[in-house]
Amino acid sequence: MRRLVTVLLLACAALGLAVTPAQAHNVLTGSDPKEGARLQAAPEQVTLEFDQPVRQGFAQVTVTGPGGGRWEAAKASVSGVKVVTKLRPLGPAGDYVIGYRILSADGHPVSGKVTFALTVAGTGAASSEAPAAQPSAQAADLSAQASEAAANGGAGMAIVWVVGALVLLGGGTVVALRRAGPAPSPAPEAAERSPGHETAASPHRDAAE
Amino acid sequence: MTVTEVRPVARAGARMLGGLVLAAVVSVVVASTLTAEEAVPGIPMPGPLVEYGLPIVRVVLDLAAAVVVGLSLLPKLLGFDDPGSTEPVMSRARAHAVTAAWIWAITALVTIVFYTAELNPGVVPSLGMIATYVGTVGAGQGLLFSTACALAYAGIGLLAVRFGEKVPAELRIVIALFGLLPVPVTGHAVDSVWHDPIMISMELHVMGAAVWTGGLLAVAAMVAPRGDLLALALPKFSKVATISLALVSLSGLVSGLSTMALTTGVELPGDLVASEYGLLVLAKVALVALLIPLAANIRWRLMPGIAARRKSSIAAWAAMELVVMGLAYGVAVALTRAPIG
Repeated sequence: MRRLVTVLLLACAALGLAVTPAQAHNVLTGSDPKEGARLQAAPEQVTLEFDQPVRQGFAQVTVTGPGGGRWEAAKASVSGVKVVTKLRPLGPAGDYVIGYRILSADGHPVSGKVTFALTVAGTGAASSEAPAAQPSAQAADLSAQASEAAANGGAGMAIVWVVGALVLLGGGTVVALRRAGPAPSPAPEAAERSPGHETAASPHRDAAE
Repeated sequence: MTVTEVRPVARAGARMLGGLVLAAVVSVVVASTLTAEEAVPGIPMPGPLVEYGLPIVRVVLDLAAAVVVGLSLLPKLLGFDDPGSTEPVMSRARAHAVTAAWIWAITALVTIVFYTAELNPGVVPSLGMIATYVGTVGAGQGLLFSTACALAYAGIGLLAVRFGEKVPAELRIVIALFGLLPVPVTGHAVDSVWHDPIMISMELHVMGAAVWTGGLLAVAAMVAPRGDLLALALPKFSKVATISLALVSLSGLVSGLSTMALTTGVELPGDLVASEYGLLVLAKVALVALLIPLAANIRWRLMPGIAARRKSSIAAWAAMELVVMGLAYGVAVALTRAPIG
């Protein structure tokens, strides 16, 4: 029993290291423009800064203006702890809301908003739709994702585990049935239950082949 | 045990399981409603199917795993000295364990799909999206590993159904506990030198909770109707439960508080009552505090009578304890998803 506990503890440690390379929950630590800022000139871009690197590929940032129009010019681009979103020239004076939803380093969506005000009206006009993703940006996103996946060990190990388990499961069941083949039907209480049913029924099929 | 006895026994066990699951689902729905992601202008949010389906499936996954662990412990609690009297209980336990392992595996896979859907609001996740999720996010890989363990358990459990206790009980216990190891990866993590100790603390927490809850359910639902076997199993389980209680409360406090303390922008102790995460931690502490008198009652008031083979009201007390445990499991799932601070 003590050996069992030791093995489990070691396994914990190994797994803790293997599956989660120091990834934590992201918290918004700063932004440009800041929350509640009152700007005279429209910013060209908004930057959100987190305490941890943000995952590639899932970051969404929008800027909603006073009339409900949308002002972001492109999809958000992630570099390390910063998420930068280019803006179109802003229009009317009033409150603008930066909405974000990013994938935290520990795998959770983190969402929130930052509000700033434009005090002097600009010249731009709002767009009612989200901008289309540029294909090149998308491709860069994917390769960034791929390298991130590689850094995390990828899905390869997990697939190996699942395949291994399925092989074990299938093999074990086959062996169980083969061995059980010539013997008379198993103990009556096992034959009554549903999972026992499968193993109890199959030997007859084996015998028929 | 005659055939006529089996039905009421099975029904009492089903009621206990039902109470546990119902309490967990109710508490996870309530807690998730309180900690739901707030709407953000311009950002699509996951629909109600994901918002409620994900935590419900996730809590069923946790409970199924706990049931598997608990049923696997039964042979160790009952011993192998008197197969004539223990075998009817253990053969039912082996069959139920395989069913629970399948539920565990399936809910783990469904949880991966839900996690993917949560990150991609508004669309039904495609296989490619799920693959990307598993490839990039540790939770996906962890759940896949957990699925693999559950399937391996189902396979070995089938062997045990067929060959009985010749299939080592230790093997089944280890595989079941192994499947629990990656579960904390779906929760929060911190970036500090304490990352690994906190992860191990959470792993001990999850395993302790599963042993305690699953073990209690297995003993109360499968063994309690048989006074002679209960007198054999309960004292052993009582020791296991006491260790689990200490392990669960200690590791829970350590991981909950240190996760908060090490997260940027969280102020202790103020945010314990000011943040949703802190309130959930407090709710779990309260539930464990509620479990202590219930567990103590079984251990010190009921156990002497059971050891003397007198009839006892253990089923009712255990059912009550299981409901509180279900509530704690529900809060636990909400805790893995609530924003810290």
